Amino acid sequence: MEESVVASEGLEFKWGKKKGVGGKKKDVQFYESFIYDGDEYRLYDCVLVGDASPDSTEPFIGMIIKIWEHANKHIPRKVKLLWFFKPSEIAPYLEGVPDVLANELFLASGEGLGLANTNLLEAIGGKCSVLCISKDKRNPQPSDEKINSADFVFRRSFDVKHCKVVDTIDDKIAGVDVKFIFNRACSEKEATAAQNIEADVNGNSDSLKPNGPLASGSGRKIEDNHFESSDCKKSSNGCIQEKEKGHYQLATKKATVAEERSNKDSGSRGNHFDGKAQESEVKKQLTKQKSMPAEERYSNSFEASGSRIIHSTSRKAQVNDVKKQLTKQKSMPAEERYSKESSGLDYRPLKKQKLDGSVTVPDGRNTTLLQNITSDGKKDTGSFKRPRDKVTIEEVPPEKRSFVKKRDLGVSVSEGKTTKTVTEKGLSKKPSFGRAEDKMLADDNERNYQVTEVCRRPDAGKSKWFRSLPWEESMREAEKKGTVVLLQNLDPTYTSDEVEDIVYSALNEQCEARMIERTSVTIPHVGEALVIFKTREVAERVIRRLDEGCLLLSSGRPLVASFAKITPPGKPSSFSGHIKLHKTQTRREMRDAVATSHCSQPNNLEFDMAMEWCLHQARHEQASESVSKRQLEEMKLLRINFKPKLP
Amino acid sequence: MATPEEAAYDKFLERVRRTVYIDELTPLATTPVIESAFNQFGTVKKVSFIPNFLGPKELPMSVLVEMETEDMAQAVISTVSQLPFMVAGMPRPVRASAAEPNMFVDRPKKPGRTIRFRWIEPNDPDFDKARRMKRLARKHTAENSFMLKKQLEEAEKLSKQQSETALTHHKKFEMMDKLLNDGVAQKLADRYSMKCFPYR
Repeated sequence: MEESVVASEGLEFKWGKKKGVGGKKKDVQFYESFIYDGDEYRLYDCVLVGDASPDSTEPFIGMIIKIWEHANKHIPRKVKLLWFFKPSEIAPYLEGVPDVLANELFLASGEGLGLANTNLLEAIGGKCSVLCISKDKRNPQPSDEKINSADFVFRRSFDVKHCKVVDTIDDKIAGVDVKFIFNRACSEKEATAAQNIEADVNGNSDSLKPNGPLASGSGRKIEDNHFESSDCKKSSNGCIQEKEKGHYQLATKKATVAEERSNKDSGSRGNHFDGKAQESEVKKQLTKQKSMPAEERYSNSFEASGSRIIHSTSRKAQVNDVKKQLTKQKSMPAEERYSKESSGLDYRPLKKQKLDGSVTVPDGRNTTLLQNITSDGKKDTGSFKRPRDKVTIEEVPPEKRSFVKKRDLGVSVSEGKTTKTVTEKGLSKKPSFGRAEDKMLADDNERNYQVTEVCRRPDAGKSKWFRSLPWEESMREAEKKGTVVLLQNLDPTYTSDEVEDIVYSALNEQCEARMIERTSVTIPHVGEALVIFKTREVAERVIRRLDEGCLLLSSGRPLVASFAKITPPGKPSSFSGHIKLHKTQTRREMRDAVATSHCSQPNNLEFDMAMEWCLHQARHEQASESVSKRQLEEMKLLRINFKPKLP
Repeated sequence: MATPEEAAYDKFLERVRRTVYIDELTPLATTPVIESAFNQFGTVKKVSFIPNFLGPKELPMSVLVEMETEDMAQAVISTVSQLPFMVAGMPRPVRASAAEPNMFVDRPKKPGRTIRFRWIEPNDPDFDKARRMKRLARKHTAENSFMLKKQLEEAEKLSKQQSETALTHHKKFEMMDKLLNDGVAQKLADRYSMKCFPYR
């Protein structure tokens, strides 16, 4: 017995086999199958239920366990769906669960919210094939072929009451005998490839679109609420909650309090329509952004296609643009700086040339001259430490021979080139190449000697236990005197003591150092330290020295030093994000809540606002991650070998 | 076999595992506030603020909360990750994650590591590379501070928007309350012979 009913939406619909009647007044007709939009759906088929919007969240998957229609034609047709959970929906409960396949689903079991929901029949967006691959004896085992061609598989269930993954499947789930849940013994015409399903889903959503954002668009459901009896209202609310729950879970938040949600709904419906639509948009945005890597997002900001919150994407575009400009600007002054530095270096090669001339005269005086040269080169007139003295003497024999070479090369080069910078470069490059060609061994000796170990600096004039406490005070004082230096490009695992040792061994200065702790705003792969010197001259000297020369640490990074700009002390008067309502506006409980701390429940405005903040935080976390990844790669490209390779 | 250094470092690592790094906290929060907040999860042994010397002033504060056991720390992290936890103000939630050794300023030295250094001469072929690397380091700092600034601006915008919405909601509810209290709604309902739900 078939009845053909033209669905009001214009989509083809036909009832299939009748199953029985029910309901209080026997006015409810149950069915076993129906044809909708060209597809036949039977009981215990798995279907997709999803949003009509083009590319947002993926559809939900459920199994039809009841189909019915009221005698009163104004009450729309309904299906009851037993849900399958995607791993992304129950992510917090998947910890410790082994072996979750990419297309694995979890059948809802147990009792409670989230097990099954009643939906409008028109909410169905297409069929899909869900194969049961449980090794249970009652389950007809599917062939490998079938497993590969199935859209989804499942073998475990998720108890919605206890929120746990259960490996066995009970005898009856949601009142449905388990044999219907397992694979059917007879071969069925299963839905074919996933593309067909997608075409269905897309096709359905397109055809549904002109009729208003249908499938689970919160609007329709809420409007339908007005027409239904109270039970149906509760359950369709449940459906919305299911969707919202999906959203919540995608945003990795617990959603066991959907009941409170429904209370809120019944409270202020009209206002909430807007709020919910917005909020679901926000959530969609959140999930969409979470699924897209940050780089894509930056590029997508120019397209601004599917995103509803367009202003935020344009903001991102702006950020991108401005950042590019800024980096360009920064690189320009950096280049200026470079040329300045190079001009500063010009002095030294010239000096070397001059001295070259004088070297040939008495060999005996080489040692002193060389020492002077090195001392001028480093612009350090202070007394040298013992190791360095030893080292310069070692340096002498190999240097001597190469000196002549350098001079020759230097002269020839200066004739050839015109610009200053090029000569300087030429000087720096040619001699070293010349050296490399002839005197490889000498080279290594030279380089090796320079590797010095950082030794513990003597505790001269400082008692240990005063350091940590008044650091801030001493720093503020030092700031006034201008002796605080910021050292950057350190290895982030160094400690403050090590930094002090480094400064002592390499620069021969006593100091107090403090590593800056890693926080969510610091660059994770570099470390910084604040160093206090005794006087401003020392600080200046150190900075200059580190700027002109390059102190390479065993981590492969040269130190960067500059004067530190420390934020002035004092706390800001208000924290953005904390709303201060006027005293008369708050009730006592709220005031208490503000004064202490609490977890927010998802049944109020506060929760929605908190979600917006979470979105803000998550966005920035992702942005920071992508930026630091890129920075790390850039650094890696320039990595310098600490110990040069022996040829 | 472990040297005293290694033993100290292991103890430190154990302490790290017990500590939670809390972020996005209001700078106005004090130690007792934080203690009472996280005592709901277990016993808080120590609260240490991470000072903000180089960042902008409006940056949210970060705190290291050391709990008694590792499980408590895990509980804090998982709860705060799932539900928005607000401390001393609404509605901006705090963020929690596991602490890392680099977050502790008083950490002991990593045992078995010696740092070496060398000065690179200007005529060394690596000098250029080192130069560029220094420049790159500076560029990265600039990029980061720019990003931070942008973040703060967006946060400011969001909070303004939210406080406006909160205010409007409040006004709306106040108005509704007033109408119902004054009996205006009841009178209107009588006029149109509609049923007015007994609100009080």
